[in-house]
Amino acid sequence: MTFTPSPAALERIEKTIALYPEKLAAILPVLHIIQESSGYIPRDAEAWVAVKLAVEPVRVREILSFYTMFRRVPGGKHTLRVCRNLSCSLAGAEDILDFIKDKLGIGPGETTPDGVIALVAVECLGNCDHAPCLQVNGVDRGPVTRETVAAIIEELKAHG
Amino acid sequence: MVENEVRLLPDDDGSWRLEAYLRQGGYQAARKALTAMAPEAVVAEVCGAVIRGRGGAGFPAGRKWGFIPKDATRPKYLCVNADEGEPGTFKDRLILLRSPHALLEGMLIAAFGVGIRTAFIYLRGEYAGLAARLEEAIAEARAAGYLGPRVLGTEFGLDVVVHPGAGAYICGEETALLESVEGRRGQPRVKPPFPATVGLFRSPTVINNVETLAAVPGIIAHGASWFLGRGLPTDGGTRLFGVSGAVRRPGVYELAVGTPLRTIIEVHAGGPPGGRSIKAVVPGGLSAPILLPEELDVAMDVDSLAKAGSMLGSAGIVVIPDGTPMLDVLQVTARFYAHESCGKCTPCRIGTSWIFKTVDRIRSAGGGPEDLDLILRLADGIRGRTLCPFGEGAALPIRALVTKFRDELEQAVAR
Amino acid sequence: MKRIGLTIDGSKVEAFEGTNVLRAAEQAGIAIPHFCYHPGLEVEGSCRMCLVEIEGLPKLELSCSTVVREGMVVRTATERVRQARRDVLEFLLAEHPLDCPICDKAGECRLQDYYDRYGPYAARMLEARERREKKAPIGRSLILDRERCVLCTRCVRFLRQVTKTGELGVFERGVRSEVGIFDGAPVDNAYSGNLVDICPVGAITAGDFRFKTRAWFLERKPSVCPHCGRGCAITVESIKGYPMANGTRRVFRITARENTAVNGFWICDLGRDGRHDIDDGRVTGLMKKGLPAPGLSWTKALAEVAAAVRAVPGPGRAAEIAVVLNSRMTCEELALAKGLFVASLGLSKVFFADRKPGDADGLLLTADRVPNGRGALAAGFAPRLPAPGELTSVRLLLMFGSQLTEDFAGETIVPALAAIPSRFLFAAHSGPLDRLADTVFPVAVPAEKSGAYINFEGIRQAFCRAVEPPPGVVPEGDIIAFLAHSLGLNPGDPDAC
Repeated sequence: MTFTPSPAALERIEKTIALYPEKLAAILPVLHIIQESSGYIPRDAEAWVAVKLAVEPVRVREILSFYTMFRRVPGGKHTLRVCRNLSCSLAGAEDILDFIKDKLGIGPGETTPDGVIALVAVECLGNCDHAPCLQVNGVDRGPVTRETVAAIIEELKAHG
Repeated sequence: MVENEVRLLPDDDGSWRLEAYLRQGGYQAARKALTAMAPEAVVAEVCGAVIRGRGGAGFPAGRKWGFIPKDATRPKYLCVNADEGEPGTFKDRLILLRSPHALLEGMLIAAFGVGIRTAFIYLRGEYAGLAARLEEAIAEARAAGYLGPRVLGTEFGLDVVVHPGAGAYICGEETALLESVEGRRGQPRVKPPFPATVGLFRSPTVINNVETLAAVPGIIAHGASWFLGRGLPTDGGTRLFGVSGAVRRPGVYELAVGTPLRTIIEVHAGGPPGGRSIKAVVPGGLSAPILLPEELDVAMDVDSLAKAGSMLGSAGIVVIPDGTPMLDVLQVTARFYAHESCGKCTPCRIGTSWIFKTVDRIRSAGGGPEDLDLILRLADGIRGRTLCPFGEGAALPIRALVTKFRDELEQAVAR
Repeated sequence: MKRIGLTIDGSKVEAFEGTNVLRAAEQAGIAIPHFCYHPGLEVEGSCRMCLVEIEGLPKLELSCSTVVREGMVVRTATERVRQARRDVLEFLLAEHPLDCPICDKAGECRLQDYYDRYGPYAARMLEARERREKKAPIGRSLILDRERCVLCTRCVRFLRQVTKTGELGVFERGVRSEVGIFDGAPVDNAYSGNLVDICPVGAITAGDFRFKTRAWFLERKPSVCPHCGRGCAITVESIKGYPMANGTRRVFRITARENTAVNGFWICDLGRDGRHDIDDGRVTGLMKKGLPAPGLSWTKALAEVAAAVRAVPGPGRAAEIAVVLNSRMTCEELALAKGLFVASLGLSKVFFADRKPGDADGLLLTADRVPNGRGALAAGFAPRLPAPGELTSVRLLLMFGSQLTEDFAGETIVPALAAIPSRFLFAAHSGPLDRLADTVFPVAVPAEKSGAYINFEGIRQAFCRAVEPPPGVVPEGDIIAFLAHSLGLNPGDPDAC
C-alpha cells in the first residue's frame, strides 16, 4: 500500500518545501507534518518523502533514526514524555517515572496494550524551574507529583 | 535586581504581543538602525558592547558578525539557535514565550548590520508548543512592516522561517545546526571553513543564540557604553541566569554579568529550602564542571568561571542539595552524553558510551578505584581530541565529578 | 603552482600550495595513520587518528584537514601524538570484534597494522560491546559486517561523492551508529568493488573473495586493465605455489591502483571481474579440430603453420592469406605482426576482430572495449572486420583471438571460414571457432604478458607480466617471432622469396 498524505497535509507539505532554497532542507518539518497527521511515519512514507524531496530513500531513514522525536511504528494516542535529567532527577523524576511504570504497566519506550498512552523517558525539556516536569502530547506540565500524574493519566484514559 | 528599568524579560505572560511591545518602545532600535545608521555602525556598536554569546561558547557576537565577508555574492543567512538543550537551561524558552518581538527585533538589526535577507529560527522539537506563538509574533511583525520585503519602508527586507528540530541536543552546536537545517543528520563539520564563509547552503552565515539577539535592541537603543556599563568591561550587559534544583525560588533572574554565584543562589533564588544545605552547584548547564560550596563566590562572567576551571556556558545554575548521592549525578551526566553523542568522531562516540557503561555497571554491581581511574582516563581520551566541543562538554564535568567527589564515589561503589 | 616550505619532524619539506599536512608528510616519506581520510574523497575529519602537533597551536590538529603554510612546524612522533593515536585505537578496538582468525582483511587491516605500531597494551574494556549484524548483504555480492565497521564513512562518501548513487547511509547515532541501505535499494552500481578496496577494516567484504584465501598468500603485481580503452592501473593478486581449494583459480583479486593521469583512485567492476578472463574458459593446450591433441608439440604445430605459409607462392599471398588480429595485443606484438605479415610477407588481408563497443558510463568505462585501439592505429593499421566476401579466395587464415564470431551471425561467417582450406586459431579462451580451426594454439591474456598499450587518450602505458601463464601457453608476440624465424624472415624485411 503506498502512502498518500491527506489533502490538508499535502498542502502544508508543499508550502513548507517552498520556504527553503534546497528541497532536502524541508525534511524535518515535512516529517513532523506527516507524524502529526498519521500519528507516526509509516514505512511507505519514507519512500514518498524521498521522491518528494528528490533524494535517495536511505536519507530519509537516516533522519528518522538519528532524531529521537520521530515514531516509526504507531505509538499511543497520547505521548507522555518524562524528563530524567539533573534538575528533574533532583526533584524526584526517577520516582515519578517508576510510579508511571507501575500505573501503566509499561516501561519507557513502550505503549500501553490498549494503545492509549506511550511513555518516553527524555533528556532535559528546558523547563527546569518546574521540575519534575513532563510533556503530555507536547504540552508542558510541571512540577508534577504522584497525585497530579495520576490525575493526568486518568484524564488521558478518559479521553480514550 | 537591576536598578535600570530596561528589562529583557517581562514578568508575566501577558505582554508578548506587538501592541504591548510597541508601548514599551519596541522596534525603535530597529527603526534607528535601519533609517539612521550605516550597517557597519550597527556592527561596531554591538562590538563595543562586548556582548558575549549567550548560547554557551561566549564568543563576542559583534566580532562574529565582523567575520562575514562584505562582498559576498551569494545570499547570506542568519540562523537563530533556539535549540536550547543544555540541561538546566530554560531562559530562551521564556524569551520565546514572553518576549518574542525582542528576538525578532534583534534579528532584524543583526540582519541589517550584516546584509542578511533570510533568517531561520532553529526551534528545538521539544519546544513545538511554543511555535504557534512565535509564528503569530512573526505574522504580527510582518503585517506591521517590521519583517518582510521592505521593512519600515526602507530597501531592507528580512524573511523569517521557523525550522523545527526533532530531538537532538547536538544540533545546538553551530555547524551541526547548519547540517540539520540542510536536512541532514545533525553532525558537526570540520572547521575551517567557518560558517562565516561557508555556512548554510554553502553561503556566509551568522549563528546566534536567542538571548544574544534579544539583547541587541537594547544595545542599539541605549548604546554600547550603556550595555557595557551594566556588566563588566570584558563581558557586557545583563544576562538571564536560570536557577533550578534545591532552591526556594527556581526561575530566571536578569542580573549583571559578574554577579557572584552565591548572590544569585541565595539572595535572588532564596537559597536551599528550610533545613537543607548546598552540596554542589552546576554553574552553567550540565557541561559546566561542578563547583563545591567553597567555590561559590566566583563572579558569573565568562572569564572568571573559565579561570575557576568551569564555564559560564548557558548560565543554567543547578543547585544540588546535601544528601544527594553524587553517583546518581554521575549516572545522569554520563547517560546524557552517551545518548546525545552524534557518533561522528571516534573518541566521543565510543568514549561516552564506554564511560556510561562503566558508571552503569559500578552503580548496579559495585566497583573499585580502578573503575574511577578508568573513567578519568577515558575522559582524558576524549577531551582535546574531538571534532566539536561536545567532547569537552562530556569529559570535563565527568572529570570534575569523579575528582571532586572521589571519596564519596569510592565508598558508594565499594563491594 | 606555488611551493610551500615547512618542517615535519625536523626535516625541511616542500609541498604544493593547498596540500594537506598528511599528504605532505606522505610525500616526504612520513606515514601518518588514518582511517577516514582518502585523497579521492572529501575530508571528513572523524576518525581522529591523524592528529599531529603543530607548533603554535594548543590542541592537536588534524593533519588531513590542515593545509600546509609557509614555515609551519609539524611534529608527528611526539609522546603526545603517540598517546592520542593509542587512545583512538583503544576506543576503536574496544567496540571491535576479535575476528582476525576469520576476517578476510587480516594481513592488510589498518587496525592490525596500527596496533602493531602503537600498541601493545592491556585491553581495559570490561563492558559488553555493541552486538550487531555480521553478514548483511548490501548489494553486488558485498557483505557488511556491522560489528567490524569503524564508521570511517568512506563507503558512504564514495557512493555520494564519486558514483553519486548514494545507496549507503548511517543510521542511529552515538555508539549505536551503523552503516546500512534502504530495504529494496541495495548498492547497485558498476563501481561497487571499490568499497572493498577503501574499507580500512574487514567490514565490507566481497562475496567473490570471502574465505577464499589469505592476504599474505597473494603475490601482487601491477598491470593495466584490458577491458576498455582507458587502461586503468590495476594490481593483479594471484597465488603462487600454495595449494588452494579451487584448482584452477590463480587470480584471487584485481584491485585498483592509483594513477592520477588515467583512472585516479578507482576501477570499475568490469575490470575487477576481469579475473575471470584470466582464469576461466582458457584454452589450456593445443587442439586439433577443437579436440585436445596431447601428443602434438608446439614445434611441430608451428612448423605446420610455417609450411602452410610457404605453400602459398609469393605473388599469391596477398589474395590467398588472411590474418585477423585484435586490439588486446600489445604495441610490441602489433609491431611484430605489422613487420611479418604486412612488410615481410606483403599481405593485404589483415583484419581486426575486437570486442564490440558499449556505452561509456561517464566515469571510467569508455565506449571502446579494447585496451589498445590507439596502439593499433599507431602501428599503422586501419582496424576493421573482414567482409565475408573478402575471404572467398583465401586459402590460409591465421586468427589471433576468438572475437571474430561476435560481430557476425553464425550463418554468415562460419560457411566463409569453413570454405578456407587451412585455418589456424591463436586464442586465450575457448569458443565456437575452436572446432573450425585445424589447430588451436593456447595464447596468453594481457595479465600474462609484458608490453605496452596506448589508451584512448593517447597515454602509453607499459606493463610487465603480472601472473605466469599456465604451462604451454604463450603470448602472441612469441608465436609471431617464432613463425618469422621458421620462415627465415626478419619481421620488417621484405621477403626475397
